[in-house]
Parts: sequence; structure tokens; C-alpha cells
Amino acid sequence: MKRMLKLFSLLVLGALLMALTSSLGQEQTGSEQDQDKTQKEQQEKKKKKKGGFFSGLKAITGESSEQQEVTATAGSKTVGEGEQIGNAQPTTADRQAVTAMENYSVPQKDVKKFQDDGQLKPQQ
Amino acid sequence: MKPRIAFRTALWAAQILAVLALLVPAREARAQFGDFLKKAADKAQKAQKALQPMTLEEEREVGREVAAKVVAFFHLYKDDALTRYVNLVGATVAAQSERQDVTYHFAVLDSDDINAFSAPAGYIFITRGAVALCEDESELAGVLAHEVGHVAGKHVLKIVERDKALRAGFDEAKAYAPGSAYLHKMSRGVLIKLIDQGLAPADEFDADQRGIKYAHAAGYPADGLARFLTKLDEATQQGGKSFWTRTHPPVKDRNARLQQTITAQHWEDADRPKLAGRFAAQTQKVKPKAGA
Repeated sequence: MKRMLKLFSLLVLGALLMALTSSLGQEQTGSEQDQDKTQKEQQEKKKKKKGGFFSGLKAITGESSEQQEVTATAGSKTVGEGEQIGNAQPTTADRQAVTAMENYSVPQKDVKKFQDDGQLKPQQ
Repeated sequence: MKPRIAFRTALWAAQILAVLALLVPAREARAQFGDFLKKAADKAQKAQKALQPMTLEEEREVGREVAAKVVAFFHLYKDDALTRYVNLVGATVAAQSERQDVTYHFAVLDSDDINAFSAPAGYIFITRGAVALCEDESELAGVLAHEVGHVAGKHVLKIVERDKALRAGFDEAKAYAPGSAYLHKMSRGVLIKLIDQGLAPADEFDADQRGIKYAHAAGYPADGLARFLTKLDEATQQGGKSFWTRTHPPVKDRNARLQQTITAQHWEDADRPKLAGRFAAQTQKVKPKAGA
């Protein structure tokens, strides 16, 4: 029994030491992998900056890739009216019109007279 | 110390040291994990904050930006008498709304299309074409009351509040400044939802139910909206342009539900004023000329 315990303890110790060794190894490999990954990402970013799919077109047409993408999108689907309205750029005059709309109010006595004239008899 | 005991002690000490040795290199990983947890918590907190209800001031800024885009696209119809009349009818039905923390603003858009829509915080628009399609004041009241119903039910606001993509960037400095990139994105999203995609049918039915309730409580016949919808259906079948028939539930279904409510509530008041004469006098400029 005591021998068994000893053997078990030795096995546990061995396993722990192996785990320690492998974890240290993995940490080093992990950090190396991280470095490799970062380098790869940086290289890819550089490649993208240098020119992607639209770079050739840009050189020929002088248009930016963003413009090309917008054109592609517009060609593939129709722009709804809501989107057109949403893309509108309000001018100062438009904003002033909204402010005027906000400031417009009919006096309460006029509303009351309007209701009375129409024999509306509202609740409240 | 006996050699056996010494051996056992050494064995246990070695095991404890091995565990410690395992824990020491993990300290860096723990720190990294701690950073990750902190970032995740910050992100979760931000996301939770983004999905919280908007304040009234934020809602107003979004509504104002939507209104500015609508005005920029269509332009307001410049007729002081008609604007005043639409505001009088609008104020009469809006006074019956459960939601009184916003001020309702009404305006006529210079468009032949037959449309009406509302932006958050009470900006309500009706087109010249929709006014022209109405035959009496009770129909106009029904349409405006339906839009008041959308504002009262916070239908658009709830969509905006739930949309993570739309709300992304809410915490940036000057996000709610007029004309900001955030408000542009937000109001554009609202208009696409309203006009191109349409609200959920449940929200439209809810606005209908609220609308007839407000119109009836204001003193108008409850069937004004239903009569307008019937005419809208006919007009669009004859080529009239309206996103109402494209994005809203079928008129047949809407009118069936409206009629159910009118019957259930005993709102068939034949003696209530439709005010066709007053309406005709106030809207003659937008009505198509006979034979035109």
C-alpha cells in the first residue's frame, strides 16, 4: 500500500513537471506565434494600403475606391425613396423651416373656438 | 528525521513547488485575462447603456434631424391658412393622446404623393396629395390621429432604441449636435425604416386603434380614417403614389379591425360632424380643379 502511494506521488510529480515544461514551451511558442501573426497582419494592412481590388481602376479612372464601391452598390439595387430622403443634406433654410414648425403654435383659445365652431365637443 | 519521513516531506515539498512553478508563468496570462475581462465588462456596460431608452432631449434631436431631411427633400407647402387649419385639426386630436410629454407639430409637404408620416418627438407631416384626397375634416382628423398614435406608441423610437447598429456612436462627443454624423446616420435609418421597409404590422394596427380613439374623443366620427383608407386604396390602384399601401398592412384588414372596434365601442355616431364644408373652404387651393 505504501509503495503504491509512493508510486502515485511520483507519478503526480512527474505529470506536474511535464505540465510545467510544456506550459513554458507553449508560452514561448505562443508569443512567437503572436509575433508572427502581428507581422502577417501588418503586411496585409500594407498590401491593402498599397492597393486592393480597386487600385487598378483608381490608376486608370482617377476615382477613389470608395466612389467605385458606391457606384457598384447603386448599380446592384434601387435606392428607395426613404433612403433618398435620408441622404438629403438639409440646408440652413431647411433647418430654419423646422424651427419655424416647432415655434408655430395655435393659441388655445383659437383651438377652443375652432372646436366650438365645428360643434366637436371633445372630451377633457 | 527518519529517511522515510524525510523522503515523504521532500516529495510533498516538490509537489507544492511544482504547482507554484506552474502558477508563476501563468501570472502574465492572468493579467492578460484580467485585461480581457475588464474590456469585455466595459463593452457590455457600453452596449447596455446604448440599449437604454433615449432621453426626451435625444428623441427630440433625432426627430428634428428627420424633420430637417423631410423638409429638405419635399419642401413645406407654403400656405399659411392651410398650415393653420391642419394645426388646428392636429391639436384637437393630439389633445386626446395619452402622450403629452412632447409637443405635436404639424406641417403640409409640397408633394402630390398621398402620404403622411411622423418622426420621433411629435413631428407630423401630411402631403398636399393626402389632404386633397380627404373629403371632409373627419378624414383629415383620422389620418393625423393615426400619426399621433405612432408618436404616442413610440413605434419609431422603440425601433431606434433596439437597433445596436443605429445607436453605435451615441456616446461620442457632440453626437446629438444638429447635423452631426451620428444624427445623420440615425435619421437616415429612421427614414429607410419608415418609408422603404415600413413599421411592423402590429405597430400600424396599434396606431389605427389609437387614432380612432383620439378622433372619436375629439368629437369626430370614428370612421374618418377608414373612409380615407378606402379612397387611398382606390387612388393607388389608379396610379396614385403612396408608400402607405406599399408598406402598411392591407386596407381590407385595417378597415375590418377598425370596424370591429367601432362596433364593440358603440362608436357608430351618425350625428357627429364630418365638417365637409369647413374642410372644402380651407383646402380649396390643394384640391384638383374640376376637369383638370
